[in-house]
Amino acid sequence: MSTVIEMKGDRRELKEDVETTDMALFVRTSDEAMYDWDRQRIVNALLRETYVDLGTASEIAREVEELIATSKIKMITAPLIRELVDTKLIERGLEQARKMHTRLGMPLYDVDQLILHPNKENANVPHGPEATNLTLAERIKKEYALLAVFSQEVADAHMRGDIHLHDLGFVDRPYCSGQSLEFIKRFGLSLPNSIAMAKPARHPEVLLAHMVKFAAALQSHFAGAIGWDSVNLFFAPYLVGMSDPELEQLAQMMIFEFSQQAVARGGQAIFTDLNLYWEIPKHFEDVPAIGPGGVMTGKTYSGYMKEAQRFAWALFDVYQQGDGSGRPFFFPKPLVHITEKFFQTPDHMDFLHHICDVASEKGNTYFVFDRGETAKISECCRLSFKLDQTDFEDAKQPWKMRYCALQNVTLNLPRIAYLAKGEDTKLFSKIAEFIEIAVKAHLEKKLFIEKLLSLGEKGPLSLLAMNRDGSPYLRMHRASFLIGMVGLNELVQIHTGEEMHQSKQAFKFGLKVIAHMKLLIDKFSQRHGMRFVLEQTPAESTAYRFAKLDLKYHSPKSGYIVKGDISRGEVYYTNSTYLNNAAVMNPIERVRQEGLFHPLIEAGALTHIWLGEVRPSKASISNFVIKTFQRTQNDQIAFSPEFTTCNVCNRTTRGLRRACAYCGSEDVDGITRITGYFTKISSWNKGKIGELRNRYRNQAFLEETEEGVVLKAG
Amino acid sequence: MSNDNVQMSNLILCGGGRMGSIKIFTKAKCPKCPAVKEIGTELKKEGVSVFSYDLDTIEGLAEASFYSVLSTPSVIIQDEEEREIMSWRGVVPSLQELKHYLFGSTS
Repeated sequence: MSTVIEMKGDRRELKEDVETTDMALFVRTSDEAMYDWDRQRIVNALLRETYVDLGTASEIAREVEELIATSKIKMITAPLIRELVDTKLIERGLEQARKMHTRLGMPLYDVDQLILHPNKENANVPHGPEATNLTLAERIKKEYALLAVFSQEVADAHMRGDIHLHDLGFVDRPYCSGQSLEFIKRFGLSLPNSIAMAKPARHPEVLLAHMVKFAAALQSHFAGAIGWDSVNLFFAPYLVGMSDPELEQLAQMMIFEFSQQAVARGGQAIFTDLNLYWEIPKHFEDVPAIGPGGVMTGKTYSGYMKEAQRFAWALFDVYQQGDGSGRPFFFPKPLVHITEKFFQTPDHMDFLHHICDVASEKGNTYFVFDRGETAKISECCRLSFKLDQTDFEDAKQPWKMRYCALQNVTLNLPRIAYLAKGEDTKLFSKIAEFIEIAVKAHLEKKLFIEKLLSLGEKGPLSLLAMNRDGSPYLRMHRASFLIGMVGLNELVQIHTGEEMHQSKQAFKFGLKVIAHMKLLIDKFSQRHGMRFVLEQTPAESTAYRFAKLDLKYHSPKSGYIVKGDISRGEVYYTNSTYLNNAAVMNPIERVRQEGLFHPLIEAGALTHIWLGEVRPSKASISNFVIKTFQRTQNDQIAFSPEFTTCNVCNRTTRGLRRACAYCGSEDVDGITRITGYFTKISSWNKGKIGELRNRYRNQAFLEETEEGVVLKAG
Repeated sequence: MSNDNVQMSNLILCGGGRMGSIKIFTKAKCPKCPAVKEIGTELKKEGVSVFSYDLDTIEGLAEASFYSVLSTPSVIIQDEEEREIMSWRGVVPSLQELKHYLFGSTS
């Protein structure tokens, strides 16, 4: 309860009555009532919130009262009283009680700054009252997480920057979620706490509306991405008989709906992944299709290939045009799965050319490679996994296919190398220590979420606890626990003296580190019966945070290691297992080498091909994609062009420019991928700006020919 | 798109009679692995440089990743410059086959 205390009349008169606790002070409480000063309230709070005894509590209350009465303070605020009580607790060595009695909140100056200036920790958060609310709430929950959810050991490791606990401001939610449209097709839109229940959709537009609303509901229950499996296929039974213009209209609605959700949580667009297939994925071939009204159509999904393909094609038509001013859509992200079956499906080359044209023109397409006969599905972020027998059983009832990652914890790998001082044994044992802390953090978060879920549909996570098909929406037994890494390249550089792209030995050492991590987390998975997996952390702000903290704690050595420009404060570590962004190397070779790590990183991985302002031909991109599939182990690639969009004439040009190429205005925004998504560069943190300056844009491997610019693929 | 288990990557060097080395990748719990280990021991006796890697160890898993070995047992033959001449992934080659690629002709 927040209170403000005001003096009534002359303070000198009050002093005499101090002992009687009859100070003539008004206490203004947060429920907008006025109470007289009452020392007993301090006693009550201490007894309610801590384990101190009545005698100590009364003594503290009296001391605080005296302090207030004798001071010349004109206005006494509740935080001040609390702080005064806390000092008294510290004087008595009652540290645990002080911690329990802590007030969470922010200084006035910080709130003022926050309301006036944009948040740069996440470039997907715009600046506005909703966003400020989100940030304010996040700050308090972050403090709460570090004090009450995680142990001091874990919290300290986070504060020091040994590890990074992602999305602490969302501590009361799981990390990300992957699902199937089949859930809303079968059960309609019936959410706990919702004032109206909608039956299963009968029309494609209504299904889309349900999907968008459900995604928004999910966004308020998860910290990160919301992924959808096989979207074009599951829409297909609703699309029978639709004309091309109608289909195009629906595709346009879908993309605009997801790209303009700036009215959702904190003004953030929903981080949406649409998984798309040209073929019918094998595990859905014989699955009975759900059609309009939630009714089985009597056919299996194999019977809907044409509609599924037409819809996928239409979606990419929309991506190709871009938004109203020709900019690429930031969301939803289209992930096309390239599989063995893709290449056996009729017209796959036409579709490949189509999506490669979009990749070159706007950059949207993500190419996800599922090699071999193993079926894979993408959950969220880059999280994907191979289907086992129980998943194949679930696939017969695809609404059951709901997955989540509960949390993401990232290790500061360069920190480990500074601490190891060149000794292999120390390095490998430090890695184990850091992983152990990350595992501990996961166990603590799991316990906390389970506590919230145990309150069921009446509790704070009602949506995740709702039970429509015999199990709660969030299937905890299928949850993944992510362990990410930042700066493998710098770890290798500190430890061996060379960066990974500089020698085979250095590269192999990088592989050894990740192999060690993989073997360790497999052991922890067995020990705890949980699914720990390595992930390439997107590290939008973590790569910056770790670099800054190491400059503080491991100087002068770190000064030679961090990438970027120290004089401008634009410092960063290379993301995850990536090779140096600035290294000049053939892009297909980068894709191959970075891909060698991917089989060890189960939760998915990605290689970026930075294009700058060049627009390679669709044929050469297609060729590049096929070679990546055939000759490498790389899990996923994306091509990233750069754009300049003008805020005056609303036109978009290729490349990053200081002024608009059309009207000359300098009121322009640069756009390109920050990590796994497009944003305006003006919203980036300094670390990522430093990386942007360094990115090698493959200039030497882009060749002008008669057929246009060709991206060489070896 | 075939994803053959047997891949031939550098035909020029094959059959040249020059002696390369052989890398064997195994795991503890893998039914076909003992057969490959046996072949390795056999070749060692004949003076071939045989490097064995266990995928349950850091070294082994890192080396397997470097050569994109995703299944066991796997065997890779290299020339003196560590270029891959031939590989068998997830399958057991016969001793004769291996010798063919190592020595240039069946002995």
